Amino acid sequence: MLAGGWRGGGAAPRILIVDDDPNLLVLLADQLRNDGFEIQTARDGEEALRRLDGGWPDLLIVDMMMSRMDGLTLAREVKARADLPIIVLSAIDTADSKADLLEEVAEDYVTKPYHYPELRARIARVMRRLGDKVPRRELVLGPELTLDLRRKSATVRGESVQLTPTESRLLYALAANLGNTVSTETLLDRGWGDTDDADPSYVWVTMRRLRQKIEPEPDRPVHLVTVRGVGYRLVQHNPPAPSA
Amino acid sequence: MSDAGRRPLDLPGSTGTRPEPLRIGPSMSFRARLTLALVVGALLPLTVFGVVLLITEVIRTGNLDTTLVQVVLFVLAAAIIVAVSFAYVLTNNLTAPLKAVSKAVERASAGDLSVRIEVAGEDELARLVESHNRLAGALEQRNGELRRILMAIGETSPRDGLERLVAHATRSARAAFGMIDTRIELGDPTMFPIEEDIPGEARPVRAVLALPDERVGVLLGHLPATRGWDAADQDLLELYASEVAVAIRNLELFDQVERQRQRLVELDQAKDEFLRGISHNLQTPLTSIRAYAEQMGAEKPDQRLGIIVEQSDRLYRIVRQLVATSRLESGTMRPGKEVLAIAPRVRRAWDALGASGTSFELDDETDGWLAIADPDQLDQVLWALLDNAARYGGGAPIRARVAPRPNEQRLAITIADDGPGVRPEDRDRIFERYERGAAGVRAEGTGLGLYVSRSLCQAMGGDLILEPASTSPGAAFTILLPAEPPAMES
Repeated sequence: MLAGGWRGGGAAPRILIVDDDPNLLVLLADQLRNDGFEIQTARDGEEALRRLDGGWPDLLIVDMMMSRMDGLTLAREVKARADLPIIVLSAIDTADSKADLLEEVAEDYVTKPYHYPELRARIARVMRRLGDKVPRRELVLGPELTLDLRRKSATVRGESVQLTPTESRLLYALAANLGNTVSTETLLDRGWGDTDDADPSYVWVTMRRLRQKIEPEPDRPVHLVTVRGVGYRLVQHNPPAPSA
Repeated sequence: MSDAGRRPLDLPGSTGTRPEPLRIGPSMSFRARLTLALVVGALLPLTVFGVVLLITEVIRTGNLDTTLVQVVLFVLAAAIIVAVSFAYVLTNNLTAPLKAVSKAVERASAGDLSVRIEVAGEDELARLVESHNRLAGALEQRNGELRRILMAIGETSPRDGLERLVAHATRSARAAFGMIDTRIELGDPTMFPIEEDIPGEARPVRAVLALPDERVGVLLGHLPATRGWDAADQDLLELYASEVAVAIRNLELFDQVERQRQRLVELDQAKDEFLRGISHNLQTPLTSIRAYAEQMGAEKPDQRLGIIVEQSDRLYRIVRQLVATSRLESGTMRPGKEVLAIAPRVRRAWDALGASGTSFELDDETDGWLAIADPDQLDQVLWALLDNAARYGGGAPIRARVAPRPNEQRLAITIADDGPGVRPEDRDRIFERYERGAAGVRAEGTGLGLYVSRSLCQAMGGDLILEPASTSPGAAFTILLPAEPPAMES
């Protein structure tokens, strides 16, 4: 179903799991170790911050509702120190208004009770993104289009447009390779790596919707350009002065 | 006077029959009568004197001297002219004050009470004028009181609180009625004894704050000993007191509503907190139970472990339903809009239910159409509908069909069972909260499934409908979702 764990070359990625339920902590650590990750655990936010002082992991998995320091506070503290990827484990789902708060600090989230294969797929998806370098703040693509991927939003002709998590994941992959073609397979993997029923039409439909949102003329796209038979390319026009 | 004072108020108790007005004298005008009297009074002696003079002259001389007749007639004519002129001047002088009084009364009845008439002397006319002045003054004062009372009542707001309202009403009453002191006591008016009115000392006044069904309190005060106080003043004070009572009642009602509203807000927040807490407290152990069972099952397959996983998922779905209801009610549900293929999702939702005893058929006619929906919320809807079909369908096969409706830019997911269907009288009710149809309280589940499902579909820009009974032997529900036509690489 999914790429199985982390059996690739190189050092095993380190994950810090923070959860106040000891049963879950032991089990999840076990499951992830079996898949080749190097695991540290912490029972609360303060312990987690102490562990961070001893060395940075590659990824954090944080429980949203903890009695001492809640997951959101911890995630903000962590982000204030370094741009570590965070996956939030929570009872909150996509339609919760608090999900917005999560999006500002977390790369992804998995609802409890989690399905381990799904969690593993999300971890893999976040890890793949680690190599991508995109501007932390705004990415100006042209006089009428600016992306703010951390906020999952775009500014089109001065108006703010909200992007869905999947749309922003695709744009993230494209922005990391600004001006170069990204294959449809890669985009499919980035956008829908956690499901096995996705096919290229997902990418096509999402790109069509994305053009409606951000292209000045959706029928004649200038930023989201199709490379026939290969994939898509994100194009920057009239780059502003370097000082901006 | 007292009648004039009552008229603008139309108080209860003042509606007795009025006495007929007194009619004085004949219908001829006062001035004409006076003139006539003066002329007659002046001319009559003169005429008699002339006639006697002429008769004496006739007896003495035997004939009538025409010169004398002419002189008498001339004198009479001159006297008539003088008398008429004098009468004119005199009557003019006498009726002028009357005219002024009449004008003043007319202006007073038109509403201008500020006009006063001044007359020298102490005669009857002066007394008439003075009583008019007093009447106008009393009316003006009462009007002023009434205006101040109305203003005072208009100024109070139920938000001010009881203390401020009472203080304000007390101040206003004191100013409006010119009292020395005023207080408003809340509670049973009989607790505050009636004060004796001792002549020469400050005059006590009192009015009950009365509502049709309750006596709220009493207004007490003192007037300067010199101040007049008649029935109209008392009526006005009682009217004022009853308005204060109404204001106090309004304030109590307002307070009550405000407290209830506050309580409801608190309860609503408590409920949301409770649900959040419950869902967290249930989800934490469920997470462990499910994960351990899953892990053990992966190491050594056992059907019993599969049941544990399925049942904990089931419990989890119920928790999700409760949380979704709370969020739908508080308006914090904001579904995402992701591109989704529907048929595989329906299949996965069915597999997750673990209803292995029932056969399931999935007919995928999507033809490349993709739905735009929130994956988590759509899963909830699919679970609820498939679970219903499995439970109420009596084990009969369940058919699901996914097909686009290109004209509507929607995808339709129809889930049908061959069970007894929905009774006609239940068709409208099943989408309501806590509704369990014919099974009643013995039914499993929360009674929220269809309510939450329809609300979620609508929140995602779609709908959930129960198909007409004629289209399916059992129950058939159709989920409608916004959808995108197939896309080519472009």
